[in-house]
Amino acid sequence: MGKTRWNRQMRYAPYLYISPYFILFGIFSLYPIIYSFYLSLTEWNGASDKLFIGLDNYTALLKDHYFWLSLWNSLVIFLMYVPLMLFLGLIFASMLNAKWMVGKGFFRMALFVPNFVSVVAVSFVFVLLFNTQDGLINTFLLNLSWIKSPLPWLDSPWWARFSVALMVLYRWLGYNMLLLLTGLQSIPKDLYEAAYVDGATKVKSFFFITIPLVKKMLLFCTVLSTIGTFSLFTEPYILTKGGPLNSTLTPVLMLYNESFQNFNFGYASSIAVCFFILMMSISLIQMRLFDEK
Amino acid sequence: MHNKRGKMLLSMLFTASMLLSACSGSNTQSNSGSAGTDQGGEEKVKLVVWIWEQAKAGIDLNMDRFKEAYPNIEVEFQTMKSTDLYQKYLVSSNTDDAVPDVLALESTNLSQMVEINSLLDITERVAPYKDNIVPYKWKDATMDDKIYAMPWDSGPVVMFYRNDLFAKAGLPTDPDEVAAKIKTWDDYYQAAKLVKEKTGAFMYGDSKTNSSNRVFESMMWQRGYWYFDENGKVTVDSPEVKEITDYLIKMQQEELVYDARANSDPWGNAIGEGKIASVVGGSWHDAIIEKQYSPQDSGKWSVTTMPKWSADDKYGGANQGGSNMAINKNSKHPEEAWKFIEFMLGDKESQTKMMLEAGLFPSLKTVYSDSAMDKQFDYFKGQPILKVYAQSLESTYPLAYTSDFPMANKLMTDVWAKVFLNDASSGDALKTMADELRQKTKRE
Repeated sequence: MGKTRWNRQMRYAPYLYISPYFILFGIFSLYPIIYSFYLSLTEWNGASDKLFIGLDNYTALLKDHYFWLSLWNSLVIFLMYVPLMLFLGLIFASMLNAKWMVGKGFFRMALFVPNFVSVVAVSFVFVLLFNTQDGLINTFLLNLSWIKSPLPWLDSPWWARFSVALMVLYRWLGYNMLLLLTGLQSIPKDLYEAAYVDGATKVKSFFFITIPLVKKMLLFCTVLSTIGTFSLFTEPYILTKGGPLNSTLTPVLMLYNESFQNFNFGYASSIAVCFFILMMSISLIQMRLFDEK
Repeated sequence: MHNKRGKMLLSMLFTASMLLSACSGSNTQSNSGSAGTDQGGEEKVKLVVWIWEQAKAGIDLNMDRFKEAYPNIEVEFQTMKSTDLYQKYLVSSNTDDAVPDVLALESTNLSQMVEINSLLDITERVAPYKDNIVPYKWKDATMDDKIYAMPWDSGPVVMFYRNDLFAKAGLPTDPDEVAAKIKTWDDYYQAAKLVKEKTGAFMYGDSKTNSSNRVFESMMWQRGYWYFDENGKVTVDSPEVKEITDYLIKMQQEELVYDARANSDPWGNAIGEGKIASVVGGSWHDAIIEKQYSPQDSGKWSVTTMPKWSADDKYGGANQGGSNMAINKNSKHPEEAWKFIEFMLGDKESQTKMMLEAGLFPSLKTVYSDSAMDKQFDYFKGQPILKVYAQSLESTYPLAYTSDFPMANKLMTDVWAKVFLNDASSGDALKTMADELRQKTKRE
C-alpha cells in the first residue's frame, strides 16, 4: 500500500511543483492570447457590446497599406542597423577577447549599459540630440561647417528611419556583443596557434577562423534582431510617433494606435494575431537553426 | 531579450484588463474598508478622482474650502498623464469597476469617452448650469440629448504678440490698435512679411512635417468648419478647408513660419530667443510663455483677439483645449461625486480662484462679470488679459470636437507632410485624407 502511494506521489509531484508557472501562464498569457483571437473576429470600441464580424478585420488588414508599410519600415530599419551592429559587435567582442586588451571589465560594462538604461529616458535624450532646429548634433555640425543647413533627423522619412535605427543600434550593440563574446570564448585557442604556426596573419585568422566559428551565433543574433525590429515600439513612439508620413510606423505601434487612439480593439487584435503568426514563424526558424548543432 | 520585449508588449496589451481589474478590485475593497461608519452622523465617503497634475493644481486651491463644506467626503487624487487616464478608464469601465468616482476629461477626447457608454448621465444635475456655461462646451458632453460631463475650463483662442518685434516692424503695439490693424488673416500675412523683413523673426511656429494642426483647427473653428460637419459627414475636402490649408501653406513656403511643432521644446526655445513674433493659440499659452519659455521677457508680450477670415464674419473666436469632469457610471457614490464636481466647477468662487491662480479660464459665464476679470497682469504690461479671453469666448462658434477628432488630427499632420515633403497638391492630399477618414470612421 505504502509503495503505491509513494509511486503515485512520484508520478504527480513534479507536475504539482511546476504547476504555478503554468497556472500563471494560463491566466496571464494563454487566456489573453485566446481572447484576442476572439476579439479579432469582432468589432469593438472597448466598452459597448462586441459585434461579431467574422474575418472582416483580416480582409481589411490585408488591404490596409499602413500594415504593409509598417512591415516595410521594419525591414528597412532592420537593414539599416543589423549588419552594422553585428559587424561592430564582432569587432568589439574580438577586442575584448584579445589578450592585450586592458580594462576589459570596464569596456564590457560601458558597452552594455545602454541596454538596461530606461529606454524612455534614452529616447528623450535622442530627441534632444536629433532635433532639427536646435538639436545638439545639428548645432555641432553647423558650427564645424560640415553641413550648410540643418539635417532633418526626424523630419524626413529616410532620415527618421535612420535615426530610429541609430538608436536601436546604440541600445542593442552591447547585448549582441556579449552574445558574440561567448561565441568567441568557445573557440579553442589551439586553432589560432596552429594558424600562427602556419604563418597566418591576425586578419586572416579573423576571417577564416573567427567568423566561420561564430557563424551560428551571428545567425542567432540576426534572428533575435529581426523579432526585435518588428516589435519596435518605444523608440519610434517617442522619437517620431511613427512619422513623418508613417515612415517609422511599426506593427506594434500601429496596433497601439488602433487600440488606444482609435478604439478599434477588434482591428487591433487582428494586427496582434497576424503579428503573432509572423513572430511564431521567425521563432520556428530560430529553433530550426539550433537543432542543427 | 528582443523577443521577450515583444512578448511583454503584447501580453501587456492583452492582460492589461485583467491586471487592472485585479488591482482595482483590491482598491474597491480598501475603499469600503476605509469608508467605515461615523458614529455621530453620516457615513464617511471616500471619492477617488482621476486627474492630471496641471488640472489638480487648480482643484487643490479649493480643497480646504471643500473639506470645510463637506467634512464627510474624503477625496483621494490619483494623478496620471491624460492619455494614460483615458486608457486606464477604458479598462476599468470595461470591467464595471467602481473606481474612479470622478474623472477629468479634455474636450478633445470627451466625445470619444462619452461614446463608450460608461459615464453617468447627469442631464438633470447640470440643468441649472445649462445657460450659465458657454454653449459650445455642451456639444461634446452630449449624446442622444443626454449630458455626461460638466464643463470646466475653456481655451479661448487669442493672439499673443511681441511688442518689441511689432514696433520694429512698424506695426502698432497697443492691443486695440493691433486688433484693428490685423483684422483678417490676410492682414496677418502682410504683418508677417513686415516682421520677417524688418526683424528677421518668424510670425509663428508650426512644423511642416509634424504639425499639431492647432492654428489650422482654430481657423476652421472660427468659421464653423471642421473635419466633420453637424451631421457627422467628413468635410475636410470642402473648398473652404482647402482655402485655409492653402493659406497656411503659403505662410510656410514664404518662410514666415518657424519650423517646429507648437508647444514642443524647440518651439518654446525660439520663443525665449525672440525668434517668434506671435502665438495664435488658447488662453493657456499665457502661462507657457510667461513661466516656461520666456520668463525674462516681462512687458514684451501683449494679447489681443485673433484675426478672422473676413472682417464681417459673425464669429471671431475659436477654442483650443479645455477640460470637463464626469462621473463613472459604476461609482458607488454618485451623489457625493456630483457634490464635488458642483463645488469645483459650478461655484463662482472656486472657478475664479482657478482662473486667477492656476490659469484655467472658466466656461462658467457668471465669473465674467466678476471684478476679478479686471486683474492686470504685470508680465503683459499690466494688461487685463482675462477680458480679451472672455471676449474671444463670447464670439466662439458653437462647434464640437466630435468623437473621431484624435484620428482626424493625426491624419491631418500627414497632409502637411505630403505637401511639404512630397510636393503633393493640397487638394489631392486633403481628398485622400477625407477618403481615408470616411473609410476608417464609416462616415459619409
